[in-house]
Amino acid sequence: MRANVDLQVPLITLVGPPNSGKTTLFNTLSGKNYKTVNYPGSTVEYYTSRILSKYNIDAELLDSPGIVSLIPESPDEKVAVDSLYSHPKLGAPDLLLVTLDACQLSRHLLLPKQLIYAGFNVVVVLTMTDILAKRAQKVSENTLSEQLNCDVVTVNGRSKKGIENLIKIINSNLERLNQLDKKSIINYNLSENKKSSLEIFNEIEEILNNIYEPIKHDEKIDLASANNELKVFQNDILNNRPSPDEITLKIDRVLLHRFWGFLIFLIVMGITFTSIFWIAQPLMILVDKLFANLNSLVVNNFQPGWLTYLFSDGVISGTGSVLVFVPQIIILFLILGLLEDSGYLARGAMLIDKPLSKIGLNGRSFVPMISGYACAIPAIIAARTIPNRRERLLTIFIIPLMSCSARLPVYALLIAYLVPRDKTWIGGIILGGIYLFSLLTSVAVAFLINKFKKRIFNSEEFSSFIIELPTYRIPKLSSVINHTYNSSKQYILRAGPIILGFSLLLWFLTYFPNINPRVETNGLGVEQRENVERAGRLESSYASELGKFIQPIMIPIGMDWRIGVSLISAFAAREVFVSSLALTFKVTTEGDESQNTLLTSLKNARNEATGEKLFTFSTTVGLIIFFVFALQCLSTVAVSKKETGGWKIPLLQVFIFTSLAYIMTFMTVNGLRFFGIQ
Amino acid sequence: MRTAAELNYGESGIISEIDSSHPSSKRIIEHGFTPGQTIELINKSIFNDPIAVSVRGTLIAIRKSEAGCIKLK
Repeated sequence: MRANVDLQVPLITLVGPPNSGKTTLFNTLSGKNYKTVNYPGSTVEYYTSRILSKYNIDAELLDSPGIVSLIPESPDEKVAVDSLYSHPKLGAPDLLLVTLDACQLSRHLLLPKQLIYAGFNVVVVLTMTDILAKRAQKVSENTLSEQLNCDVVTVNGRSKKGIENLIKIINSNLERLNQLDKKSIINYNLSENKKSSLEIFNEIEEILNNIYEPIKHDEKIDLASANNELKVFQNDILNNRPSPDEITLKIDRVLLHRFWGFLIFLIVMGITFTSIFWIAQPLMILVDKLFANLNSLVVNNFQPGWLTYLFSDGVISGTGSVLVFVPQIIILFLILGLLEDSGYLARGAMLIDKPLSKIGLNGRSFVPMISGYACAIPAIIAARTIPNRRERLLTIFIIPLMSCSARLPVYALLIAYLVPRDKTWIGGIILGGIYLFSLLTSVAVAFLINKFKKRIFNSEEFSSFIIELPTYRIPKLSSVINHTYNSSKQYILRAGPIILGFSLLLWFLTYFPNINPRVETNGLGVEQRENVERAGRLESSYASELGKFIQPIMIPIGMDWRIGVSLISAFAAREVFVSSLALTFKVTTEGDESQNTLLTSLKNARNEATGEKLFTFSTTVGLIIFFVFALQCLSTVAVSKKETGGWKIPLLQVFIFTSLAYIMTFMTVNGLRFFGIQ
Repeated sequence: MRTAAELNYGESGIISEIDSSHPSSKRIIEHGFTPGQTIELINKSIFNDPIAVSVRGTLIAIRKSEAGCIKLK
């Protein structure tokens, strides 16, 4: 039946427009025993599962991303459509289950019609019929089945009513196909050529005239719908014109209000941001502490030597720097998931579309951009939903400028250095200022890059923004958690190995070649001796050689090789800058005091090249500016390469952002000095 | 001829045709904007663009430049 595919059982694929109850049906049929498969060459994830044994069907079930039609718009949709015709691993499906919202058949029937014309074996699954029943209407399965020439089943996602019927129909369809012993031949282009969407919609109009039936009195579910019935008869059935959900319209009168709507949007985003930081902060500290303790546990219990340090400073600290961002990423995706599931996110995209389009972006760029404030990696992946290639590339281009959470520890240290201890509130204002500044720079950069769009993106597609504003509903926590889990996993799997790998490389560069430095250790305790040895090792390491090599370019911005080394280490992960500074400036005191001692030793540090004080107001502000612009994250580069399909964009990003960082730092440091501020 | 981009708040109209020369026309049709359908302007964003219209019982946000190819009777 199926050539070149490992699968021995029939493949059933679930298809459906977004919000049609597809995932609920998948969960019902598969239980929770699904696994995820990546579509080869992409980050789009699919869920597959054997159908639960209690249903007695030996078949593989594949869930696919929601699509409106067989003609894909975004890269995400293209993958979904391609996999319908033939999934590279699983082959072409034997049977398609198409989920349709019974209240939205007027729009949703397009997809099954296209699929049937393309030659697929289709079973239509009607969902949300309970909502339709509240409007005192029902869909005649038999009539719809005759009109579509395929089987139609009604399934209630929540009560699971209708599942047995669906199973029976799946079985009879599979049997029928088995007797034919061949699949219908599916021509990729047939769906587009055979009938235009307009013709199909004309046919749908015909179907719609016949399939809706009023629910009789004795079938009615409750008294409340009796009142609705009258209204429905007057408005909907007589005009044959479904109207949008009343409650949704009422909510939108506020949330999409011309003035208040935008203000509420800004407030919602503000709350989202602050919670990313304030809720995640204690968790991040916890993760940080945990790995610091693990580190000292290893150091204290094993013989000092390169293997111990490889394990403690390389592997454990490296793993820690990957996991420290997980709390923020989880919270970000939880909040975004709740907003998305409730139906608000699409409205946010609508509200922000106009300003974003002025700088060459799109309302759909908005979610990837705010994700960038947690971590650029999931943000760049999220840009897949932007259909227009130029807008997608431009969004990916500026995402590294969003002030990601990895910069936070760096800013925290540098701000703590600038601000007097009794006036920490000034620090909060400065941090807010930095975020605003990074937002403004990303807007300015997007504007400038957009001017050169022809050269950089060589693509001139028509910019489009058409988006469905879904009916408001209470978010389904289980699916939000599920999505959050998968996104976080994606981050760990993608960024993890790269960050870990570079932590190991960095460890190697700072540890070798002089592993047993000759240092004066007389009269020092065990721990202190250890620290002095570490510092000595670093001073004569490959990393310091590299640092001294780049010293000439550090001098003009008022810094020396030690900051240079820390900046280089920050390419593994930005927050490594802090630990690297600590290491280089011989600060290794453990515990709560560590930041204070680091601050003191920074105060005393002198520029090794010029002998001047190293961390002055101007150089500290300069460093902050450097971190605002510089693309110091190799995982971002790797993901950007993958998502843009080449080295051009990521290399341009590294070059432009890092040189911009250097130039801006140079201007800041020397500008401040010109005005007499050291 | 009036287009969907010129609708006022709460005003509705019946689609007469979709300008097929517009690059988004296929997509617009796929979202259910077809001749004979009634559309109503529900909301506008603070910048007057995009607009939210109801068609076939669903709310769709669409840019004015694209709504301009939806011609009304």
